[in-house]
Formats: sequence, structure tokens, C-alpha cells
Amino acid sequence: MDSSVPLLISVVTGAIGAALIAYAFSRAHGNVLIGGAIGAIAGAAAPLIFMLPLNYCTFEAERESIDVAFGLLLIGIALIAVIVPVRWISMRLLGHQSVIARQIVPGAFKGKWTPWLLLAPTLAILVLFLYYPSLDTFRLSTLLARLGARRTAFVCVDNFTRLAQDSGYLNIIGITFFISIAIVVIGLALSLAIANLAYLPIKGASIYRTLLIWPYAISPAVAGIIFLLLFNPTGGLINYVLNGLFGIKIGWLNDPAAAPWAVIMASVWKSLGYNILFYIAGLQNVPKDLLEAAAIDGANAWQRFRRIVIPLLSPITFFLIITNMTYAFFETFGTIDYLTGGGPVNATTTMMYNIYEVGIVNNDLGKGAAQSILLFAMVIGLTVLQFRTTGERVTYGA
Amino acid sequence: MNRRKSLLLALFVLVCALAVAPAFAQEPTDVHVWVAFTDYRLDWTQQKAAIFNEMFPQYNVIVDGYANYEELFSAAALAAEQDALPAVIQYFEVATQDARDSGYFKSIASALGDRTEVNGVQVDLADFIGPVSAYYTLDGEFTSMPWNTSSAIMFSNMNLLNAAGIDTPPATWGEVEAACEAVMALDAAPEFCFTWPNHGWFFEQWVAQQDAPLANNDNGRSERATEVVLDSDAGIAVASWLKDMKDKGYLYYSGAQGGDSWATVDQAFQTQQVAMAAYSSSDTAVYTQTGVDNGFDVVASFLPYNEETGWAGNLLGGASLWLVDGLAPEVEDGALTFLLWFTNTNNAAEWHQVTGYIAIRQSSNDMLSTADWYATMEPTASQVWKDNALVQAAQGSPWFDANPNFIVAANQLAQSTVDVATSGALLGAFPSIRNVITQALDTVLLTDADPAETMTAASAEANQILEEYNLLNAPE
Repeated sequence: MDSSVPLLISVVTGAIGAALIAYAFSRAHGNVLIGGAIGAIAGAAAPLIFMLPLNYCTFEAERESIDVAFGLLLIGIALIAVIVPVRWISMRLLGHQSVIARQIVPGAFKGKWTPWLLLAPTLAILVLFLYYPSLDTFRLSTLLARLGARRTAFVCVDNFTRLAQDSGYLNIIGITFFISIAIVVIGLALSLAIANLAYLPIKGASIYRTLLIWPYAISPAVAGIIFLLLFNPTGGLINYVLNGLFGIKIGWLNDPAAAPWAVIMASVWKSLGYNILFYIAGLQNVPKDLLEAAAIDGANAWQRFRRIVIPLLSPITFFLIITNMTYAFFETFGTIDYLTGGGPVNATTTMMYNIYEVGIVNNDLGKGAAQSILLFAMVIGLTVLQFRTTGERVTYGA
Repeated sequence: MNRRKSLLLALFVLVCALAVAPAFAQEPTDVHVWVAFTDYRLDWTQQKAAIFNEMFPQYNVIVDGYANYEELFSAAALAAEQDALPAVIQYFEVATQDARDSGYFKSIASALGDRTEVNGVQVDLADFIGPVSAYYTLDGEFTSMPWNTSSAIMFSNMNLLNAAGIDTPPATWGEVEAACEAVMALDAAPEFCFTWPNHGWFFEQWVAQQDAPLANNDNGRSERATEVVLDSDAGIAVASWLKDMKDKGYLYYSGAQGGDSWATVDQAFQTQQVAMAAYSSSDTAVYTQTGVDNGFDVVASFLPYNEETGWAGNLLGGASLWLVDGLAPEVEDGALTFLLWFTNTNNAAEWHQVTGYIAIRQSSNDMLSTADWYATMEPTASQVWKDNALVQAAQGSPWFDANPNFIVAANQLAQSTVDVATSGALLGAFPSIRNVITQALDTVLLTDADPAETMTAASAEANQILEEYNLLNAPE
């Protein structure tokens, strides 16, 4: 690597940082020079977040262009992560506002240390079991590491860039989205329909409701085993019934086209109870007078459902989309492991399941860590996107 | 006053010492043993440990079971990181290279030194049958204690084969296909004809039968293996044959791979959805009994081979018991005592009878060939053995005469030519490479992918795993 690379990078990012903060200062009628200086320092320091641990390895001469591109991406992320808070803090200081709102809150602790003391147990657990392992994942992702091996080897960002070139992994991303979206869409539609039925004032409604919620109490692994028995291609109940009725047998577990549907059905069934619970609660909060008014105006049942119930349920739906998406990404693992083991032909290997196969089954810790960081980034991205798009269409008032 | 105080103190110390001393003397030394079984095989092992603990009250052997080899393998690596290894771990044969590289273990030979007995239990390593002691002798040193040794064989449902006019189980791939044609033409034809567990071991067996090595440097035995070959002519032949069988509707493939695949074959064979199943001899007892319970005759035979290349021999499989290095001397002695006793003539014979794993000692085979084995074995036998229907039924006659299925695997190994290919590969990260193999066969069977191209791609993937493993584990 050319020894001037770190300097060059920091000069460029420093210039960008200076320009951005100086611009912000000029708009706020602050001192452009001071703003520029703050921005330059922050901008020049930002790349160090990633580049100090990586030692600028992505810019070494023998690296491929994809490594360089990944390095630039990391610098971009670091720049955003530094400049945005710096701009925010400096603007508040410029406006002579206190950075930390210091209001007298009733019931606040008098001492400086009491709150920390009370937080300490929680913080200790979080640091030990959440923050430290998370940080360690970043370290592992730059290594070639196997459990029980004599040594590790530093491989720069290979674990990440190789994923981008691996058509098998791109396929896994596709499968993950297909299975997850199907679980959310089918799961929510089905549970809304069932909740509507269960909400009808009929005899023994509370018994039906209780029975409908049961699947939620079953662990994903048990759901996997139940469906393993049901979906068994030769001796399973589902194929027995299908064969008796239509004379067909579907290779639920050994046909790559059918297997994802087995996982989707098992997962939908598993989360059904939870969704129904929330939808019933939501339905109980739909004001009767609105529905009556609409009925008097001549709206039929479907129109009332479509124009009044669904919009009023939107906060619940939004909440359920987020929780179901999280469920589909992370918690279907147990179901998949017991039902299909990721097969056939990787047709049910989701990103989460692949992390387990690579990192745990095959002991390849570095690649597993890189994949889990990618999944982590993706889920954060999805949630932000959800809040930005769907979130705006949610009505919280009647 | 002062004197009285010190006298009292002395008395107190004495009383304490007296109270504690017998406790020290009687407290047995814990010896932890991890095995990869959770079924009746774990029960058997625990019952034997209980008998051992009665015979040697100074030790307390505690046996813990893990779901399968792969899981135990990971658990051991984790335990090593935390310095919490037990005294003895069961490692499967393909983990041999990983076990050697790990540095967790001490060879049995070096732990024994020149002792001829430990706590009165005889050391007789020469009594282990040839292929077994050959496999677990590394660099000329007896490394781990053989225990469950098997080979891949085939079980046939003779009622179905006889109905199709076939008297003896087919011996070659071509004969299997011909038999399947006849079976599938029956009026009461089963849904499929043949099945096998998609476990890397069977691919290795079929490649070895064709006398082809799986890795360079003499299958990793003359020097560390640095290259795996899955796309040899032999490897492609295996994939092509299976695909052909699948395309003709003869082969049942459940879609389950590795450790999950065994149960799917059990189910298909037990419910008579197939006429033949390639399987491990480890379950000869279960498969034979399955036939008895469900009213069909089960015959074990050698694993069918590729008639175009001929039969060189088969590999052994199974696992051995590894002694952890750096144990306290009394724990190591306890572990050695247990290992020697656990694999003695009677126990090796008992283990063979309740499972189907090969009787690893010549003396066990000799004893079982006589008619009065039952009386010899009964005094120290486990409940699992006493409850075994086959054992009870065979009383009074030579064991192998009463149960011919049980000699098949031993014969198969005995008739094998021992060479580079049939000794099996020593490979780093072999468990991961096996996953690549089963994945490749999965692709060949369930998609239109070309067998040769798929195996070549799998080779590349396996070689990358091996290269990375060697980079991290090879001694400098």
C-alpha cells in the first residue's frame, strides 16, 4: 500500500466534513471558519473508525476493485455516522441551547451516582452478553477463524466481498425475502380473516378465541417437528389426505419448489395465534357508531370492512408487520432446522439459517460473523424503511 | 490460659481432620465421558458405567449423551475453549485429523506406557482385529480406543425380492437396477425400490470400492492432505448412478442430509416403501428386529459396488474414544481403567450383539462362535443386553449361526484389500467437507444439474475449506 493513502483519505473526508459543517454554520449565521475547522477535524477523524482496525487493508495494491469499493463504502458510512451528530451538537451549541435538556423533573435522583448504581446490573448484563459479543463479531468478521484452530488469519474484508460474488448467497437472500414476505402477507391476511370470524358474537366465542391462540405457546422447534410428521412425503398425514382426495403426492420436504411452502405454512401457523390476539383486540376498539353510520349510509359489509375497519386497524397492522418481519427473519430458524434442515437444494436456507450452517455446523466463525453483520444491517435498513414508508400511512386517531 | 487455647485449637484441628479424612478416602474420582448417542446405546453405556463404578468404587464414571457426532464435535471444541473438557470424548472417524490437530488428546499408547495392566484390567491391544487397529494407529502409535466400528452394508426386504423372483440380494449397482426393475413390476409393488442415507460416508464408501482415493498424499496418510478430489471418475460414477436410479423412479431420496438422513431411511424400510436400503451395520440389530416385528425377512449383504470398476473393499466407520491430555493422574488412570474394561472381550461382544457394530476383539468373535457365550457373558451383562430379543432367542447356539446378518460387516472388512483408497481419507475439516458432498448429491438428484459439473464445483468448494483449515491448523 502507498503510505500516503491514509493521509489522502483523511484530507478528502476532512474537506467534505469542513464543507458540510461550514455550510450549516453559514446558514445559521455562525462563524464559517470555526464551522469549517470543526468539520475538517471530524471529517478527517471519521475514516479511522473502520480504517484503524482494518489498517487500510482495502486499499492495498493487490486488492481487487471490489475491496476498494467496499472500503470506500465503509468510509462513507463512517463519515455519515460522525458528521451528522457533530452537526447536530454544534448547531445546538451555536443556538446557545444546552445539548442536554436540563429540566427539573419531579422525582429525579438527587445524587449523581444513584441512577448509575441502579442501572448497573442491567448495564453489566448488556455489556457482557450483548455489546461485547456484538463488537467481537466485527473483529471476527475480518478473520479466517475456526473453532478450536491453532491460530487465526487476518483476511481484511474478504468475508464480505466474497459474499457479493457468491451467486449461492445472492440466491439465499432472495429465498429469505420470498419466505419472509410470504409469511408476513399470508400470516396477516389469514389472521385478520380469522379474527373477524372469531370476533362475531356467537355462542362459545371465547372458547374459540382461546383455542385459536394456542399455537403461539408452542416453540418453533416443536412446530417444526409437528409439521415434519405432517409433511413427510411418504408417510405424512397431509400427503395421505391429498392422495385420497386428489390422487397427488407433493414432495414437501424433497422438492425444492414445494419445500419453501412447507416452511411458510408451518411458520404462519405458528405465528397465527399472536396475530389473531392483536387483531381481536384491535377490532374491539373500532367504534361501533362509525360502522353504524356507514351502514345507514348504505355501505355494505365489505365496504365497511375495507373503508373503515382496515384503516382503523392500521396501527396494529403496522406493529404486526414489524414483529412478523422480525419473526420471519430470525425466529423461523427452529422450524426450518427441524423441518427441512435448509434443504432441499438450499431451497429453505434463509440468511439466518445459513449463518448457523456456516458458523456453527461448519465451524467457520469469520464468514458466519460477516453474514450476521450483513443480516443485522439489512434488518435495521428494513425497519427504517418501514417507518419511513408504511409508518406515514398509519392513522392513529379515529 | 494461652496454653489451654492452643490445646483446644489443636484438638479442634484433630477433630476436623478425622471428620474429613474418611470423606477424602471414600470420595470417588469423577471421570466424565461424552458419547454421541441418546438412544438405547446411551442407556447401554450408562448401565456399563454403573457396573464399572460398582467394581471400581474409587471411580465414578459419568456418561453424557449428545444428539449426534457433529454436535458432540462442536461441543468438544467449545468445551476446549473454556477449559472444560471431560476425560474421554467419542470422536467419529472423519474427525480423526481434527482430533490430532487439536492437541486436546493424548494417545492411548503414551498414556499406558509399558504397563500391562491398569488397576488389574489387562492391556491387550493386539487382540483388536486388523482393520480396526490399523485405522486408529496413527504414525505407528495406538492413538484412540476403538469402540463402535461399523461398515456400510445393505439390508434387503426378502419378501419383496422373493416375490420378484430374486433369491439373493443384488451385489452390484447393475444388479440392484435389475432387481428394482423386477420389484417395481410387481402388482403389489412398493412405492420405491432402493434408498440410502445422504450422508457423506456412503459417497466415501462407493468411491473407495472403486479403489479411488478421496485426497492427495495417499489419502492424507503419508502426509497432510492438501487436495480433495470429489470429481474423480469414481466420484462422478456414484453421482450418475444415483441420479439414474432416481430418474427411473427406483430411488427414494427423502431430502434429508447428514445426521438427519438416517431416520428417513429407517422409516422407508420399516414401512416397506423400499425393498432395499444401504445403511450402516451399526443398526443390524434394529433392522433385523424390524423385520421380525413387521413380518418380513431382512437379509444383510455387502454394499453393492460398481461392476465396471470392480470391488476393492470398504471403509470402516464409526467412532473411537479419545483420552483428553493434561488430566490429573488419578483421573487419567480412572479413564484408562474404564476404557480398557469397557472394550474387554465380554463388553465388546455385548456391544456387538445389542447394536450390530463389529465385535472389535478377536477374542469376542471367538467366544461368540461357541455355543455357551450366554453363560460366559451373563454375570457382568447390562439390562439392555438381557432385554434384547435377538440375544435371548440365540441362546444355546453359536451367535453368528443364529444371526448371520451380524457377520456381514466383519466379513466385508476382512475381505477388503487394505490399500490407500480403502483405508479412508484423513482430512482436516472433514465434517464440513461431508456437508459439501451431501449438498452436491442433493443438487444432482433434485435438479437437472450435470453430475460431473456439480461434482467439480463441489470439489472447488471442498478444497477451499481444506485450504483454509490447513492454513489455520497445520503445525508451522
